[in-house]
Formats: sequence, C-alpha cells, structure tokens
Amino acid sequence: MNWRRIKLIFQREIRDQMRDRRTLFMIAVLPLLLYPAMGVGMVRMLVSFQEQPRTVVVLGERELPEHPELIQPTKTGEEGPRRFVKGWFGLYSDADKLDVYTESMLPRAGDPDADPKLKQLLADAKRIRQKYDQRETLKSTPGRTKDEIELVNRQLGVLFSTSGIQVLIIVPDGFGANIAEVNRLLSEKSGDSEAVPEYGRPIIMHNKADKKSQIAYRRVSSAVSAWEQGILSERLSAAHLPATMTTPVNAEAVDLAQVEDISQSLWSVLFPALLIIMSVTGAFYPAIDLAAGEKERGTMETLLICPASRTEIVIGKFLTIMTFSMSTAILNLLSMGLTGNYMMSAMGGGIFGQAGALAPPSLTALMWVLVLLIPLAALFSALCLSLATFAKSSKEGQYYLTPLLMVTLGLTVFCLSPMIEITPFFSVLPIIGPALLLKELLSSQGSAETLVYAIPVLVTSVIYSMLALWWAIELFSREDVLFRESERFELGLWLRHLLREKEATPSFTEGVVCIVMIFFLQFASYKFLGQIDQDAPLQALKLQMMYLVVTVACPALFMAVMLTKSVRQTLRLRWPSGKMLGLAVLLPVALHPLSLELLASLEWFFPQLPSAVTAQLAALTDNNLPLWLVLLVFAVTPAVCEEVAFRGFIMSGFSHSNRKWLPIMLSALAFGLVHMIPQQVFNATLLGVVLGLIVYHSRSLVPAILFHLTYNSLPILRGRMETKWIEDTPAEWFFAVEGGAIRYEWPTLVIAAVLAVVLLRWLLAQPVGKSSSASANAKLSMESDVNVKTSVRV
Amino acid sequence: MIHAQDLTKSFADLKRGSVYALDHVSFDVQPGEIYGLLGPNGAGKTTCLRIISTVLRPTSGSAVVAGYDVATQPEKVRSRIGFMSGNTGIYDRMTAREMVEYFGRMYGLEEDALQQRIEEIFETLQMHDISDILGSKMSTGMKQKVSIARTIVHDPPVLIFDEPTTGLDVLVARAVIKAIESLRDQGKCIIFSTHIMREVEKLCDRIAIIHKGKILATGTIDELESEYDEPDMEELFFELISRSDAQVAAELS
Repeated sequence: MNWRRIKLIFQREIRDQMRDRRTLFMIAVLPLLLYPAMGVGMVRMLVSFQEQPRTVVVLGERELPEHPELIQPTKTGEEGPRRFVKGWFGLYSDADKLDVYTESMLPRAGDPDADPKLKQLLADAKRIRQKYDQRETLKSTPGRTKDEIELVNRQLGVLFSTSGIQVLIIVPDGFGANIAEVNRLLSEKSGDSEAVPEYGRPIIMHNKADKKSQIAYRRVSSAVSAWEQGILSERLSAAHLPATMTTPVNAEAVDLAQVEDISQSLWSVLFPALLIIMSVTGAFYPAIDLAAGEKERGTMETLLICPASRTEIVIGKFLTIMTFSMSTAILNLLSMGLTGNYMMSAMGGGIFGQAGALAPPSLTALMWVLVLLIPLAALFSALCLSLATFAKSSKEGQYYLTPLLMVTLGLTVFCLSPMIEITPFFSVLPIIGPALLLKELLSSQGSAETLVYAIPVLVTSVIYSMLALWWAIELFSREDVLFRESERFELGLWLRHLLREKEATPSFTEGVVCIVMIFFLQFASYKFLGQIDQDAPLQALKLQMMYLVVTVACPALFMAVMLTKSVRQTLRLRWPSGKMLGLAVLLPVALHPLSLELLASLEWFFPQLPSAVTAQLAALTDNNLPLWLVLLVFAVTPAVCEEVAFRGFIMSGFSHSNRKWLPIMLSALAFGLVHMIPQQVFNATLLGVVLGLIVYHSRSLVPAILFHLTYNSLPILRGRMETKWIEDTPAEWFFAVEGGAIRYEWPTLVIAAVLAVVLLRWLLAQPVGKSSSASANAKLSMESDVNVKTSVRV
Repeated sequence: MIHAQDLTKSFADLKRGSVYALDHVSFDVQPGEIYGLLGPNGAGKTTCLRIISTVLRPTSGSAVVAGYDVATQPEKVRSRIGFMSGNTGIYDRMTAREMVEYFGRMYGLEEDALQQRIEEIFETLQMHDISDILGSKMSTGMKQKVSIARTIVHDPPVLIFDEPTTGLDVLVARAVIKAIESLRDQGKCIIFSTHIMREVEKLCDRIAIIHKGKILATGTIDELESEYDEPDMEELFFELISRSDAQVAAELS
C-alpha cells in the first residue's frame, strides 16, 4: 500500500467535495443555520402556544358533600364554564385548563335561552350514564352472554367518543349525605367498623386511547385525590384524631440532583443520539458522490487506470467520507449545544425552569464524544461507501443507503430509552455499544466502572469498521459491481435465467437468499412456536422437529433441487474416509466439555435466558420422555437439517469464489445467527467454524452431520447420567456433581483440550485435493460453452 | 511491448446466458507502431483494451505489457501505460491544470519534472488558455485535450486509445489524430480502436478486424487488401463481417 497515493486521493476528494455546493450545504451551512432557526421557531411556538381547555361534565353535582367543595361555586353574573377549586391542583393555573359543566348551570330543562352547547353536553352525558347503567345491570344479571355485554360496551364507547366530553364524572345519589354520615359516626366514635355504611363510589369516565381525554383525566384525577385528602383531613379533625393518622410513614423524598446533573442527563441523551444520526448523515452524501457519483460522471475508469490499487482508492475515499462524517457530527453538536445553551439561559423561567442555564458538558465528556465518534464515523463511512459502490448513479445510491439510515434511526431510538443500560453483551454490538457507553459516560452517574466497557466497545468497533472497510474494498474489486451496465431487468426473464443457467453448485447470491429465506421462515413460524403447550411435551417435541424441517431443511433442499444442476455436489453427498468419520465422533466429545466450561465462564457476559427457553432446555433433561425420541428431536433432526442447509447449500454457494475462510466464516455466522439467543449464537458460530473446516477438508457433508449429531447428543446423555454412578468412584477425578448435574473437573478439561488440539491439527493438515468447487467451475465453463451454442439456436 | 495471448472474457447475461465478449484473442504490438482494432460496436474492442489496461481481469489467457503481466503485476502495467477512451472522463470540479497535476503525482513524478512536463504538454496541445477552467465549464474539445494531456503526462511507453474521436467534431478529431501520429513518431507503442475506416487507413500500421469477440483477420492494410483481393478497406470490412455471420449461422443450423 502506498500512503502517498492514498494521501493524494484523499486530498483530491476533499477538495472536490469542498467545491460541491450540495456537500457544503449539508455539512457546514445546514447545521449552522438549522439549530438557530429551530430555536427561533421554538420560541415563537412557545409564545403563541396556549393549551385548549378540556371539557369535563359532572353529573350529580348536588350529591357532592357540601364541604370541602370540589367545584368553585358560581358567582352571580358569571358566564361560561365553571372551574374546579384551584386549591386541589398542584399548579393553580391547571384549574383553568379544565372547563367544568354541571346540571346546575341549566336550572330549567327547557330554557330556550340556554347555551345550546351546554344543553347538548348535558343530554349526551345523561345518555352515557344510562348506557353505563344498562351495562352494569347486564353484567350483574345472570345468563347474559358476553356478546350482549360487548355490544352495549361498544355503544357506550361510541357515545362517549362522539360526545365531545373528555372526562365525565358521575356522582352517585346520596354520596355527600353518606360521607357526612360516616364523619358523624367517626366523630362520635360510637360506630364500630360494621356500622359504617357501604355507599356508591363516584365514577370518572375517560378514554385512554384519546390523548385529550387522557390529559384531562390525569388533571381531574389528581385534583380529585387532593380533594379526597381534604375530606379525609376534615373527617380526622372532626373525630379529634391527628392529621398524620393516615400517613404513618410519610417518607420525605430528597432530591440531590444538582443543576449540572440535570444538564448532564440531558446531554447524555442528546449527544449519543445526535452523534449517531449526524455521523451517518455526514457519511451519506459524500459516500454517494464519491462512489456512485464517480461512476455517473464517467470518471471511474480514469481513476482505475491510474497506478493506485483498488485498496488505495477505497482507503482514500473512505478517509474522505470519514472526515466529512466526523466534521458534520462535530459541527452539529457544536451548533446545537450553543443554540440550546443560549435558549436555556434566555428563557430561564420557561418549561425547563428548574434547569436554568445549562451547564456545558465537562471536558472529559467532550473528549469521550470525540473518541467514540471515530469508530462510529469509520463504521458508517465504510458501510455507506460499500452500499454506494453498488449503485451506478447518485439516485440509485440514495435508494441503497436509505435502509441504512432507517436502521440507524431505529437503533438510536433504542439507545435513547432510559431503561437500556450498557451491559457486557451490548458493549460488543456495533453502534449500540458506543452509543450506550457514551450515554453512560455523559450522565452524572458515569463512574470508573463504566470505563471498563471502553475496551470492548473500542476493540469491537474497530473490528466492525475494518470488516466494513474490507467489504468496501472487496466490492470495489468486483467487475460486475464497478461496470454494472443498465441492463433491463425483468422478473420473468431473471427467473428463467436462474432455472435455465443452472450451475453445478449454487451461486453466492443464492446462498445469501437461502439464509434470508431461513430467517424469514423462522420469523413467520415464531407465532406457532409460541403456542407450544409446555405441559404436552410430546406435542412440543413434534412441533420442534417440524419447525426445523420446515424452516431450515426445506428451503435449502428446495433451492438445491431447483437452482443447481447437481444436488449431490451442492450438498457434498460423498462418502468420506473412515478417519474423517472417526474424527467426527471424537472431536465433539473433546469439544463438549470445553464449550460447556467456556459458556459457564462467560455467563456474566450474556443477557439472561428467557423463561420459555429455559423450559425448553429442561425438556432435554426430562427423564420421563423416551431417550430415542429426545435424541431424534434434539440431535438427529437438527444435525441433518442444519447441516444440509448451512454446510450444504449455503457453504457451497459461498465457496464459489474458491476461497477457504470466507465460506466457512459466513456460513458459521449464519448458522450462529439462526439460533437467536446470544449464548447459542456464540456457541453455534464457534461450532460452525469447526463444522465448516470438517466439510472443507473432507469434502463431504457426512462427517459434519455425524459431528453435529454427536455434539447435540452429549448434553442429553449427560442429563440422563445418574449422579450416583460417579459419586465415590475414581471417576470423581474427572467429573463433579453440581446441583444434580454433572460437570467436568479440570483433568477432563485438560485431556479434552489436548485431544481437541491434536484432532484439529490433524484435520487442518488433511490435503484438500482438488477442491470440489474448482472442478465444478471447470466443468461449468465447458458446459456453458455448450449452453451458448444451444441457447443461440433456440 | 504488448503481447496478448488467447485473451478470453465471458459475461453472464440475463437473456443470452453466458456470453463471450472476447474469444481467444492474440496479437503483438511493437514500439513505434500503431495497431488498429477495427470492429463494429459491441465487437469486444473496449473489453480487450480494458483487459490490457488491467481494469478488467481476463477469464482466461494472458497479456504482457511493457514486460509486466496484467494479471500479476497490474500496478506496474498501469504506471507504464496511458489509457484514453470515451469512458475516461475528466473531473468536473477540477481545473485542467489540477487534473493533469493530480494524475502526474499519482504516477509518482517529481514536482519539478512534473511542472516542466506540464508546461511542455500544455504548449504542444495549446492548452494554456484553458488551464484554469473547471472541467464542468469545458467544451468537448477542451475536455479531450485534457484527457490527452492526462494520458501522456507520465510519458508512458505504451498508449491505448479506445475510440478517441467518437463524438468529436472534425477539427478536434483531426487534432487528436495528429497527436497520436506524433506520439508514434516518438517511438511509442500504440494500440488504437475505432469503427471509422478513414482513421484506420490514415493512422494504423497494422490492423485487426474484430467481430463478436474474435479476430477475423490481421495484418497491414496492404497485406489484407492483397490477401482478400479487395482494394477498398470498407468493402473488405463488410465482406469479412458478413462472411463470419454467415459462418456462425451455418454452424448452428
């Protein structure tokens, strides 16, 4: 690699972008103008914004206790809706946000001068009350069907939502009198608890699905609780009881949050989100311009014939995009920070009154923002560059990149949730890891413990970025990507092409499609798996088996039959040497204790297993089921189905390029990912690599199936082992009994490790011979010779 | 200087299946010679030249350019060739001078030598008045001049021109042809593709007639004319192509 050329390309691209008005606008002008403009807009909105008062109707106002009052009495000559008593609201002004209508506002039923709106509201309210009563009587009448009640319930809902009433309060008859009676009984202290009469409760009707009703209800209900406290304290004082009687604990909440803490918690939410969104936006347009734009303007070939290698070109372009991504993010943060700061201090008493002027984030925090911006920007730049390389025009590039933007937005929302905190597992995920780490570091609670996560976050971020960059280089070296002609695409034509131009083994794309299909089928059948009755284990096992056959084996077999010429070659159905078969049985025996210990020692790392999975795992050790059935479901079926799909069809597809590690790694990763649960994903990916190696070196699927079968059988057999076989025997050297299950002692682990290493080394030393896919390709080119001729004749 | 042996390139096409853009093409070009690839559109000329300039990799066969193999030492090959085609555009947001400077630096020219070389080229091609104009503001003729300057800035021993006169008016086309001629006189090894008879007759020392990925005939113009007994180049061209099409049709039926 020649860094001088990379630097040249980088400088040229930067200069090129700086001369592009669109890029300059997106990166420099927009952030500098956008936030101040938004600030001005917000100030205007706040000034002109006034909340509409909500409509509350109270039926049976006369039945309310006379003291304390809930509703402000009408003063003579006062017009319009009434108000609740201000004292019951935390913020007095809240009382004005509720318009209260009562029957007493309409003294005579047929008053022609009365406000028609008021008449309508009261009539509606009465109708709702009737409907409600009807529903309640129906409910209490025996022999009524659910449907009847449901019908009335629906009518009630419609009535309420069309009435324009946000909250309806119905006070039952004799409510006030009953309260007075209880007060009297208590103050005389004559009544025992039985003497206190039961009386009807008021009803507060609202509609949770309606935002307006919801807001009004929240206000009404807090006012009513305050009012209830008022009644209670009157009752207590009348009975000469201490006011603290009902609050024996009365804990006092002390908030220690400082002004800086409040602003820090604000920064910890805003910064990670903005950093992610802005670094992806900053990479978006330059990437399209540098890759798709280069093709569109016809300068791609000019660049390709200069001495710079494809790798140098990609790295030069990547660094340019990364520079823009980072500067966009930084400029946006700066502009938003300054605008926000100014706004906060300007409207000190506004909605954020308690925060006052925002304290700027600390220098350490800012340093972390910069440090974490680097891997984020690198990942996004490489991803954007890869996707944009696919496109042949800027417009096409935008189509390819939009999904990336959407996924990123989804992840950002996920990270914003206050419930989500960084865990060891999250820390190794792309994008989420850096975002959560930053969130934690910026919030005031961030401590030295959080810093521990910096290592996995940074290391994995660098790995992800490198992978994405490698992908970009890979794409840039592909002729079909760089010189994509705008050939016409017809679905029918394409399908016919697929079926007619079959090759001996599937193509890379077909391998990917197979993975996607498996994922999709798994997703679609998720619903049925959820319905498994854990109490009917036989049925559950049957379902589990069908699930694997339908979602994993079927797509692979179907595609192998339809899309390839040789199912045998695709699925590598070939009898291997006896040594390979021996290895396939021995290696899992050696690996099983190791992987068990590995998983046990990594338990802290993974999120906890969902309960459904634990139940399923328990079925493995359920001694009441016949052993052969459990083995069939959990060992034989997965071994055959998964091997046919992952090491069979998918790995054959990926092997098309005649590489060793790429197909093994990709099929192992796909194999891992279908296991969904993080622990199993990890374990299965590792196993997938071993299985891939076995298939690669034996050129046969059979040892892989045997390995898989053995590996899956071991935990089942382990669960069936009686602990008493081991206790007090020399076997205790090798096994330990822990909580009724058998674990391996370290001598076993050492032996297993040695054995595993020996076996793997032997496997790797096996000559691959003439690779099956190479011969397939040779055959293919001969066949396609024939093809051309035949197809021309047609 | 250029030695191509059995170059073959196949593409997968949705409609026609696997298609040969180039089918066992072999030829040699010497220094001081202009070798013309003559063929109709879609004959495989561009594919052939792209393989020689290492932009595409051959499906099979090999090519050695200026002593280096295109498959194993593509960077060495690229630094010793100048390539110009209808697809090698110039950057919109760079001036003529910046563009030539940029590629000169890419080829590793020393700054002094580069500036001197640019002065020379700009003088010969009469480009001084456009040296500060942005690519997007240039006329087709100006752009073509920049392209030529870019192609020869590192003084490569091998030059490849893929239909360099397509879409140019007579004046500019003539200037381009003159430039290529003078390059031949400097002893460069030149390969030149076109579908215009006149250019071939005027410029090429030897030609190959290429059709559907195959070389139908090769030699000097005189050789071809006497071999096929057809004094008119254009007639010869038509003759060869229709004969080849008839042959393919006969094979298939």
